[in-house]
Formats: sequence, structure tokens, C-alpha cells
Amino acid sequence: MGLISEILGGVFAAGPIVAMIGASILGVFIGALPGLNPVMAIALLLPLTYSMEPLVALGMVAGIYNGSMYGGAIPAILLRIPGTPAAIATTFDGYPMAQKGEAARALKIACWSSAIGGVASAIALMTIGPILARATLYFGPAEYFWIAMFGMASIGVMVGSDAVKGLMAAALGLLLGTVGLDQLSGVARFTFGEVWLLSGLDLIVILVGLYALPPVISLAEASDIKGLSASDLKLEAVKVPWSEVRGLVPTWLRSSLIGIGVGILPGAGGNIAAFLSYNAAKSASDQPESFGTGNPQGVAAAECGNNSDNAASMIPALTLGIPGNVIAALVLGALLIHGLQPGPQLFHQNPGLVGGFMVQMLLTSLLILAVGGAAATRIFAQVQRLPGVLLVPMILVLMAVGVYVINGRVIDLWVMFAAGAAGYILEKINVPLAPIVLGLILGPMAEQSVRRALLISRGDPTELFTRPLSAVIALATLGLVLWPILKGLKARRRPQAQ
Amino acid sequence: MTERRQDILLGGVFAAVGSTAALMAADYPGASGIYPTALGCVVAGLGALVAIRAVLRGADGPRALVENAPRAALTLGLAALYLVLVPVLGFYLASALVVVVVPLCLGFRRPLYSLVSTGVFIGIVWLVFSVVLEKPLPAPVWLSY
Repeated sequence: MGLISEILGGVFAAGPIVAMIGASILGVFIGALPGLNPVMAIALLLPLTYSMEPLVALGMVAGIYNGSMYGGAIPAILLRIPGTPAAIATTFDGYPMAQKGEAARALKIACWSSAIGGVASAIALMTIGPILARATLYFGPAEYFWIAMFGMASIGVMVGSDAVKGLMAAALGLLLGTVGLDQLSGVARFTFGEVWLLSGLDLIVILVGLYALPPVISLAEASDIKGLSASDLKLEAVKVPWSEVRGLVPTWLRSSLIGIGVGILPGAGGNIAAFLSYNAAKSASDQPESFGTGNPQGVAAAECGNNSDNAASMIPALTLGIPGNVIAALVLGALLIHGLQPGPQLFHQNPGLVGGFMVQMLLTSLLILAVGGAAATRIFAQVQRLPGVLLVPMILVLMAVGVYVINGRVIDLWVMFAAGAAGYILEKINVPLAPIVLGLILGPMAEQSVRRALLISRGDPTELFTRPLSAVIALATLGLVLWPILKGLKARRRPQAQ
Repeated sequence: MTERRQDILLGGVFAAVGSTAALMAADYPGASGIYPTALGCVVAGLGALVAIRAVLRGADGPRALVENAPRAALTLGLAALYLVLVPVLGFYLASALVVVVVPLCLGFRRPLYSLVSTGVFIGIVWLVFSVVLEKPLPAPVWLSY
């Protein structure tokens, strides 16, 4: 009872409420602008949250995340341009509906579906999260080490199209995480005599570079100098009858379950949830041929699916320190800058904060209904009149100011620039960026855990494998790493056999 | 450049970075060197694997590293110039300059729109960072004398 009142007292204070409302509006705005995405927005936001209360910072992250997932549907429906990758499946039926003059109806269905998916996902987080967290009470240093390794391996293997490159990126992230003073012995590692490197590479500086600079370069390459004309963005208010709403309920239920399942899996994102939900709705329909021609069920499935992935992706992140997607990794980064170490102990050491964030994920899902209503959507649609080239320098300035205020050092700007330029090239050659970030986040925990385990066992490395729980997680990690190799071998043998 | 060559280069760079890190870390005293040495070896090993895999069965087709090389280079160049100018001109002057110049260089030819949006944007940044958050930002170099 005391914990619940602590959580509610924290969430319903003025600061977190203003943060949630403001960030939800900003999130829809960001999602509605093709070229901007929630990952970039949250990366830009994180430096500003240093001096804020953790629940204000997390409320902003929740608002941007849920808001932008709905915002992505606006250009997807009006222009067949997905505002975020997760809104690709929304274009399939959303745009044909807009062409038939039903844009406002499609947007209203998208708004409701996003809110329902988000709420279902937050409820899953609130129920599954604490159960999983209780299991982690049995973890010692060896288990913490293997959990970090499992997280790294899963993100490395699942994110991106090339498992070897993913694992390579994860190992690089772990290596970058060792830069600076060794926390146990005080030895300076990879500092090259530079004082500013003693505290290690700043996670947020790298994050902003990796996730904000590549989209800026892409925006410049696209070079949109006109924006859209007002006539493309006309919307008229419309009412959706209750009979139609009732017909969408099975789709919402199915898509919510799919989205939650996908969210829990490390590496799978909202776009996969949306595609799977869309396909499931099509398969379950009496008129599958109507999908792709403007069927509201298609919009409902895609939007509900991509939003029900949101909070669910936080389940492994908050309980085990394994983020389900890049935004969950950023949430772990937000926790780190407030002195909270992600990992199995987070739930036990900061239950009020973790519980508060769960409630914020629920509330910001409901806020979509308020900030994504008909009038608001008409306003958000207008942001697409902004020429893309104007956003290029503005984002650059926000990156610079956000990074500079962290430590007040110009050198951080160059680190950010180098990380961004490297990130742009790495993405183009199929090296995923999320494992690098996760390596930076989980690296210190992994190292400290393994060294503590070895100290406890007086240097006996078998301690890492002989405890039943650690052995299970170690085997799961090994399986995860070997799986793509075996799959590759099998795929190569099949054509030979044929 | 073909995918194969890109991957050979990528694997080579990672192998070199990993090997160098492992060699450096091997000199660190006690347990502080074991973990980074192991990680350096893993990075080097995976880099070598990517390179070898590309040599044996890499795709020969081209893979574009940039969609529009001149625009990407221009943007990166202007971004680097901006970072050089921040400590010299101060944050606000350098930022105002980059917000006006980058769209112009990318083909945006509506000066009034550009100037008004620059003014509004820099005003918001100043309000948020200097007035509300009271964050110290780089001042022009001539003000430090």
C-alpha cells in the first residue's frame, strides 16, 4: 500500500504530469514529421534531463515514445509516407482510405487503436514485470554477468540482418565501455593520457551522435525544400459509429497480444509487431481481399500492433537489463544518467521509480486520445508543411547544445560528431547501432559482475558455469550465438542437397 | 565500392582496432587488463570473420554508402565547420549562422522564411537553455578578453 501511494504520489506531481502532456504532444509532432523519429528525439532529450527528477525525465521519454508511435500514422494515412518505420503497415489501408475521402475516419481509428494497444502493453508491463523481477532475487554476480552477455548476444543476433556484424558491434560496445578509470583497481584504460577520457566515454554523447546525426544527413540528402501544400492536408471531422467500433474489438485484442509478445522478444520492434498484426487480421478476416484497398481493420491492426509493442519492450529492459528495442536501451541510458544501474537489481532497489515509469507508460497511452483527437490531428498534419532542409541545421544545433550542457566541453561535440559519422556509415553496411549502445550500458555491469564472481570463488572460473541458474543462462547465450551459424550452414546445405 | 570490398575493409578495421586494444590492454596490471584484452580479441576475431567471409562468398554488387554524396559531404562539412565556429563566435552566433547557411546551401531560396524561422528557433533555444535552465554556453572568443 505504501509503495502504491509512493508511486502515485510521484507520478501525479506537477512536474511529471506537465512532462507527460508536453512530451506526448511533442511525440505526435515528431512522429508526424517524416525524417524525425522517436529514437532521435529521445536521444536529443536525454542530455536535458540531467538536472531533472527521474520521473520527470522518464515521463518525457514515455510521452515521446507513445505519442510518436501514433504520430507516425498521420503522414502514413494522408500521404503514404510512414512517419516512423513502425507505421509502414498503416499505409497499406490508411492511404487507400484517405484516397476514398475517409482520411479523418482512418486517423480516428488509428488514434483509438494506438491508445488501446498502448494501454494493453502497459498493463502487461505492470503484471509480467514484477513477476519476472521476483525471479531475479536468486541472481548472484555470475548470473548478472550472463544476463548482460545474453542481452548483448540477443540484441547482436536479432537486430539487423547480419548476426556476425551484430555480435561484432556488441563486442565493440563492450570494449568502448572499458574506456576510462577501472572502477575496481583505479587503472586508467585507453585514455591516451587525456584527462577528459578518465571518466569514460559519455553514453549520452555517443547516443546523440549515433542516433541523431544519421537522420540529419538523410534529411539533407532528401533535400525537401518545399514541404507540403495545405490542400494535401485537408481533414474534415467525422464520427465513427459504435457498430464499427465493436467490430474492431477482436482486431484490437489479437493485435495487442501479438504486439506484447513481439515487444518482450529482444531485438524485435514495432514495425514487426505491426506487420504480424496486420497479417493476422487479414488471415482472420472474411474478406481478406479487401485488405490493401482501404479496410479500417487493417489500420486498426497495424496501429494497435505497433503501440502494444511499446511498454512490453520495457519488460526485459527493466527486469533483466535487456532492452527489447532501441528505445528501451535509451530508457536504460536515462536511468544511468540518474545514477540508477539497469539490471536485475533495479526493480528491488528502486521500486517506486520503476512502478512510476510503468504508470507513466499507461497514462501517456491514454493521453494519445486527448492529444490525438480530430482538431489536434488537423494541427499536427500541418507540421508537414515545414521544408525538411530547415530541420537539418535546427537538429544540428539541438544536438550541439544538448551535448555541450552535459559536461561543458567542446571536445564532447567532436566525439558526438565522430560517433554520428561512424554510425551513418556503419548503418549503411549493415552494422546495427543498438548493440554498440547496449555494450556501453551493460559493459561496466558485466565486467564488475564477472570480477566479483571470480573474487568470491577465489579465481576459480568454473563458478561462472557451475551454478544451475548461471549455467542455464550461459547455455541460452551460447545457443543464441550458435543459432545463426547453424541456420546459415543449414541454408547452405539445402541448395546443395537439391 | 562492392559489398565484398566494403565488408573486407570493415572486417579489417575491426580486426585492427580489436588487436590494438588487446595488445594495449595486455599491459594493464592485474585483473584490470584481462577483460579488455578478451574483448579486444573477440572484436578482432569477429572482424577477421567478417573479412574472411566476404573474401570467400561476399556479394559483388554495389552497395551505396550515401544516397547523395555531394549533399551528405556538404552537410558533414558544414556541421564540422559549425563545431569549429562554436568556441570562436560563441554558441548563439555560430548557431544562427548555421541555421541560415545550411538550408541556403541545400537549395532553399526563401530568405524571409529562413530568417524568421532562424529568429524564432534561436529565440526558443535561448529561452529554454539560457533563461529557464540557466546553462552556460560558449561565449564569443572576443568576450573572454
